Amino acid sequence: MNKKKFWLMGPYLFWSIAFIIIPLCMVIYYGITDKTGSLTWENILSISTPEHLKALGLSLLLSFISTLICLILAYPLASILTTMSRNQHSFIVLIFILPMWMNFLLRTLAWQTLLEKTGVINHILSFFRLPSLNIINTPYAIVLGMVYNFLPFMVLPIYNSLSKIDKNIINAARDLGANGVQTFLRITFPLSLPGVISGITMVFIPALTTFVISNLLGGSKILLIGNIIEQEFTQASNWHIGSGLSIVLMIFILISMIVSALLDKDGEGTLL
Amino acid sequence: MKNFLSLQARRVYIGLIMLFLYAPIITLIVLSFNASRSRAKWGGFTLNWYRALFENEAVMQALYNTLAIALLSSLIATVIGTISCIAINGMKKRGRTIFMGITNIPMLNADIVTGISLMLLFISLGVRFGFNTILLSHITFNIPYVILSVMPRMKQLNPSVYEAALDLGASPLKAYFKVVLPDLMPAIQSGFLMAFTMSLDDFIITHFTKGPGIDTLSTKIYTEVKKGIKPEMYALSTLIFVTVLVLLVLVNKTPVPEKKIRRLPVHGLTGKPWFKYGLTGILLLLIGGGLIFGITGLDEPKIEQVIVYNWGEYLDPEVIKMFEEETGIQVIYDEFETNEIMYPKVEAGTSAYDVICPSDYMIEKMIENDLLLEIDFSRIPNAANIGEQYYEQSKAFDPQNKYSVPYCWGTVGILYNKTMVEEPVDSWSILWDERYKNNILMQDSVRDAFMVALKLSGYSMNSIDKEELRQAKELLIRQQPLVQAYVVDQVRDKMIGGEAALGVIYSGEAIYTKRENSDLEYVIPKEGTNVWIDSWVIPKTSKNKENAETFINYMCRADIALMNFEYITYSTPNDAARALIEDEDIRNSTIAFPDLNQYDHLETFTYIGEDGDALYNKLWKEVKSQ
Repeated sequence: MNKKKFWLMGPYLFWSIAFIIIPLCMVIYYGITDKTGSLTWENILSISTPEHLKALGLSLLLSFISTLICLILAYPLASILTTMSRNQHSFIVLIFILPMWMNFLLRTLAWQTLLEKTGVINHILSFFRLPSLNIINTPYAIVLGMVYNFLPFMVLPIYNSLSKIDKNIINAARDLGANGVQTFLRITFPLSLPGVISGITMVFIPALTTFVISNLLGGSKILLIGNIIEQEFTQASNWHIGSGLSIVLMIFILISMIVSALLDKDGEGTLL
Repeated sequence: MKNFLSLQARRVYIGLIMLFLYAPIITLIVLSFNASRSRAKWGGFTLNWYRALFENEAVMQALYNTLAIALLSSLIATVIGTISCIAINGMKKRGRTIFMGITNIPMLNADIVTGISLMLLFISLGVRFGFNTILLSHITFNIPYVILSVMPRMKQLNPSVYEAALDLGASPLKAYFKVVLPDLMPAIQSGFLMAFTMSLDDFIITHFTKGPGIDTLSTKIYTEVKKGIKPEMYALSTLIFVTVLVLLVLVNKTPVPEKKIRRLPVHGLTGKPWFKYGLTGILLLLIGGGLIFGITGLDEPKIEQVIVYNWGEYLDPEVIKMFEEETGIQVIYDEFETNEIMYPKVEAGTSAYDVICPSDYMIEKMIENDLLLEIDFSRIPNAANIGEQYYEQSKAFDPQNKYSVPYCWGTVGILYNKTMVEEPVDSWSILWDERYKNNILMQDSVRDAFMVALKLSGYSMNSIDKEELRQAKELLIRQQPLVQAYVVDQVRDKMIGGEAALGVIYSGEAIYTKRENSDLEYVIPKEGTNVWIDSWVIPKTSKNKENAETFINYMCRADIALMNFEYITYSTPNDAARALIEDEDIRNSTIAFPDLNQYDHLETFTYIGEDGDALYNKLWKEVKSQ
């Protein structure tokens, strides 16, 4: 396929400039100006106030933990899925997408009903005379919500990477005397790395920027950076600080994009 | 891996993950059969919500919008995305990296930033918000899913096959359609499905780019989250879920010839011929529907209309139908969640609202910034139904009563559960009582939270005095460890369910919650509180001022005000309507209609200026980030 095909880029080129680049520039413009329209770094630098730093730190921590849990849960799951018969593949993978057809807000609210002090889980626990579970409105509930909502984004890319591995390579390793652990560490895991990396970005970024999960499951007691940005826009109507903080977030997103681009050069880790 | 885990252990593991993924969904399904409107209480089994669902035009319209937007946006995104993949594949490495980078932006950027940046774009272009703006936004975030799905497949293609086709005399176009495209098909289909799913599930971006009179399921649900989800939504979700599940099981039961199975997981579904026919059928239906929609849309300017922008769940939908029938004026209805979200949209003027219902201090701000038109009261004879005292009160923000007509009013107080709080409650100070640690619900809005602290300290709730506010902040910080959650309208469900002992709540919600749980009691604390008024105003951008006045007049009619009162349970300032209330307990309820002369230190919020707002917000962040 040759360079003549460049004109085919036309629609997307136009689209990405009009609806991705220009809007982004507008956010940046708001981020580096104040209400009078003059240039200022204050909005971006406001990240260094204790409240903002704390929220950013907490967001990074919680999304890191959630990503780790997702990875630990998803990897074995994905490898089990690859051992299943081909016929079941589509069924099982769709099972992971299916919850997304129930509205995201409703699903998260349902966790409220499950986790509350007088909620479903505690009713079940008290029936068996077990101690009650009090994690609603704590960071634990937020982590749970993040893992719940983003787990499919970790499972699917890892599953794809794993299922692409040529079984002959693994058999060859075994024939050459590698044991199960060695095969996994030196063959299977490195080959599945693109999927793992894409999974990590697909979980980490939305977890870092969410505000709905922390609102609904954290009782608004725990401020994440996403909550602060949302409040600047919707409650405080200070679009300048909101944009400035968004720029800071974008820097983190950029870093993780570069890291994943470096580690996954061929863009093999895909969602589907 | 398979050596470490026995088959049994693997099954258990998958089972546990499935339980985790599906527990909330089972909960939603159970709630759809719950006779009680509150999610916190089981009121017995019922199928009523399913019946109500099909009679609820607004929800069905939202469902149609959601599906139409999801289908159209994922189709257009699939076409653009696939073409771009062909082009990107032909590029040199650098160009490819740049484009893949751009592709990643909407995928990885915070939804809220994408949503807001698109809103800024549409506002600056002066585009009217509506179906089109949502569609454009969805296409934007859908294209990446298609590209990221098709691109890897593209790389695996063998270029010799395409060249062979050319050598055998096919034109480039024909070679593409006959050779390349079929090979890409599974990837294109899974990209399409992913895009469709994402569009279906999106809330944040839609929220910022939608306009008056259009709702998708997500935005409809969001406005309801604040007021308590209507069980119809659970019913609808259950139906969607069951439909897809049945589809899935059918697919899984139909044997698939081995050679047809491709690598991509979803292909098992999309490869089925009946799926294709089904999809085409749905598409034709939607496009047909869209055309009819479009054609009727063309007639729109001829019809008299009025664009109303109101709080979520703040009007009986039946009233709108009656208004349309009686006056022949079509109502385009849009909802907002906070005054602060409403303000920039009105200021930008892209939606040309005719009637808005902001709160007291926001009306003052709008008057100050010259955004409102004077109301011609001679066209609103029913305004006389509104009690004189409410006009008096309105003077706090609209000194000459020129711009606003009161619609609802109320107080803010403490709702408490008599089984959990034994002593009489009469002061805000109980919200600082250690004994109720983790049993207190506070309001999650700056002004309301500070109102409580300022009133407790004996200051004005409109204070902008730094020292007074510092003291209030200290109080709120001290209270923070005792608070179970900061919530807005969710106080309602949580108090009904007995989740907390004490909650700060709007009086309008108190009537409803008491009805659902008789252990609850509402008090206005002795230190005084906020008496708020939400009033109808007409913005400068209005294109149908006369219709707006007709609408306001209709809202002031006694029987209509009564219908609205019974629907939303917020106190009406309409004395004539109050006289019509049949239930004596409610007509003389001290919650709905307290005698304000009995209370001291009552105030109404006033606009404290941009600096005041900034100060409050800064202090509030300091409280919450403790």
